[in-house]
Amino acid sequence: MSFLHIHNVHKRFGSTPVLKGVDIAIAQGDFLVLVGPSGCGKSTLLNMIAGLDTLSDGELLLDGVRINDLPPAKRDIAMVFQSYALYPSMTVAGNIGFGLEMRKVPRKARREAIERVARLLQIENLLSRKPSQLSGGQRQRVAMGRALVREPQLFLFDEPLSNLDAKLRVDMRTEIKQLHQRLRTTIVYVTHDQIEAMTLATRIAVMRGGELQQLGTPQQVYDDPSNLFVAGFMGSPSMNLIPGRVVERDGEPWVALDAEETQVLLPVRRDRDALRQWYDREVVVGLRPEAITDPASADRREGDVHEAELPVALVEPTGADLYVVTSLGGKRINARMRPGGAVEPGSAARFAFDVTRMVVFDPDSEQRIRSPAPDPA
Amino acid sequence: MSAVAGRRFTLARALLYTILLLFAVVYLMPLYVMLTTSFKTLEEIHQGNMLALPGQWTLAPWREAWGSACIGLECSGIHGYFFNSIKIVVPAVLISGLLGAFNGYVLTKWRFRGHKIVFGLMLFSCFIPFQIILLPMARVLGILHLANSTAGLVLVHIVYGIGFTTLFFRNFYAAFPDELVRAAKLDGAGFFTLFFRILLPASVPIIVVTVIWQFTNVWNDFLFGVSFASGDSAPITVALNNLVNSSTGVKAYNVNMAAAMVAAVPTLIVYVLAGKYFLRGLMSGSVKG
Repeated sequence: MSFLHIHNVHKRFGSTPVLKGVDIAIAQGDFLVLVGPSGCGKSTLLNMIAGLDTLSDGELLLDGVRINDLPPAKRDIAMVFQSYALYPSMTVAGNIGFGLEMRKVPRKARREAIERVARLLQIENLLSRKPSQLSGGQRQRVAMGRALVREPQLFLFDEPLSNLDAKLRVDMRTEIKQLHQRLRTTIVYVTHDQIEAMTLATRIAVMRGGELQQLGTPQQVYDDPSNLFVAGFMGSPSMNLIPGRVVERDGEPWVALDAEETQVLLPVRRDRDALRQWYDREVVVGLRPEAITDPASADRREGDVHEAELPVALVEPTGADLYVVTSLGGKRINARMRPGGAVEPGSAARFAFDVTRMVVFDPDSEQRIRSPAPDPA
Repeated sequence: MSAVAGRRFTLARALLYTILLLFAVVYLMPLYVMLTTSFKTLEEIHQGNMLALPGQWTLAPWREAWGSACIGLECSGIHGYFFNSIKIVVPAVLISGLLGAFNGYVLTKWRFRGHKIVFGLMLFSCFIPFQIILLPMARVLGILHLANSTAGLVLVHIVYGIGFTTLFFRNFYAAFPDELVRAAKLDGAGFFTLFFRILLPASVPIIVVTVIWQFTNVWNDFLFGVSFASGDSAPITVALNNLVNSSTGVKAYNVNMAAAMVAAVPTLIVYVLAGKYFLRGLMSGSVKG
């Protein structure tokens, strides 16, 4: 039995559909991240869960109870807003305690709850300050304190880190993750930042244009994307999506990718049965940059490595890695190599492809070509 | 080169300050004449020399204006009318301000179908000239048995003020972050709690603007006062007019000036006091930045 069940939820503004039948179910203690480009409907969905927006169709179940028609205050849900939304006329303690005060919690119990949360978030020395006297990170903490103090069944976060500078964002991200691991609360978190989604989530829901593209663990969404959008959206640098063709070789499907003068032939390891139906048809091949390496750093124990010599167009060192750009199927391809290698632009280098990580998409429907049952790789 | 530029600059400055000083003198001249005249004896005034300082300072005109000047047939000064005006202006400002704040709150944070039309109509009321409503208002006050009373004037000023106060508060609350309202709703705040605990405490700047605006308008009103309240319930503006017009042979300019100063002082005080609380950037800190 799922803890939060978003069941076939629709939203229309006038005749414009914003959500087109979204289905998501998560268990208690899950950290669900709704991720997608702006305008994909993720914030609308969050507001619906909070009760700040109405559903056009569908159902919301929290712990088995239908909450569609409950007012926000009765849903036992707390929310952290993008702008923090701290009450400007109240002190930090007043801000944190306001929800308890509204629920008629006695003064003494309120005091204790505020202090407990302040200790947890390390803002005890700020309790008598006004929001205008706080830094961005401190405001963020107060906003979280206001949500935490009520001990609700469900926490909602609406892009809570987007107003912080890069360094602080990473720190707060870690803190939110730690907080979730300590408190084991159920969280729904909205962001457009796929790195935030990957690092925080136990479940990721990738959305686009009001539709759910994929729901799964971060690793599933990353390694096993169900369509071209998810493949391109998750991961940075993003997955190489290479136009190619399925060919038959000794009764097995291979993919052929055009390089400048040669052709790279790679055996198919995943979804082999499905790809047998695709002989001599155009496909899009997906390979993450870390699945294309130099031969020395290729993972030969877990993977199945095939090498090819290709011209190097560009080299981008990041310090930890060396991204080597070449061209396949008419597209720029990123390969992640070890720094310090003798790879020079203009010359040729050996590229090692780990075909166990290769995924294949239908260029017309943009969907993954999958075998019904997982291949015994 | 730079020295020349510097001299030119100071020359322009000097010219600017001279002009500004000249304007200041022109604007302050009536106040100066009023004040000095109010401290002179009648004999001194009759000698001419309007701009001279009093040769012999006296508070007698002020005492007379406050306590014993004749207004019509009654000779007990303007103090009764001063308190009439207080009785009118305090409830009129408070109630119209509160109603305006409520309207602004509902029109921005609890939007309903047709909220734009409702606001448009309320805005329209700001442009209705006073004279047009004199007769209908007299009829209404008659029906309500409020004619010739300060309560009646309170009602008139509330009705007339709502348009402006609504405009002020609506525009202020339109810029008030919706996320704060949503946060409070999730925290369990209802309609009134939201208004009194979240919005109103953050509204000091616009409250000050509204109070200054309403206070000066109501206090300085003459037309409604003279039309709907006569005799004992008249406001100070009407009393001042009657005082000046109640001739006992000689024009007591010093008493008139003192009475006019008494009538003008409260609005001045409101400006000075309220201006101090004219805080900017009160909203900073509630949302980003």
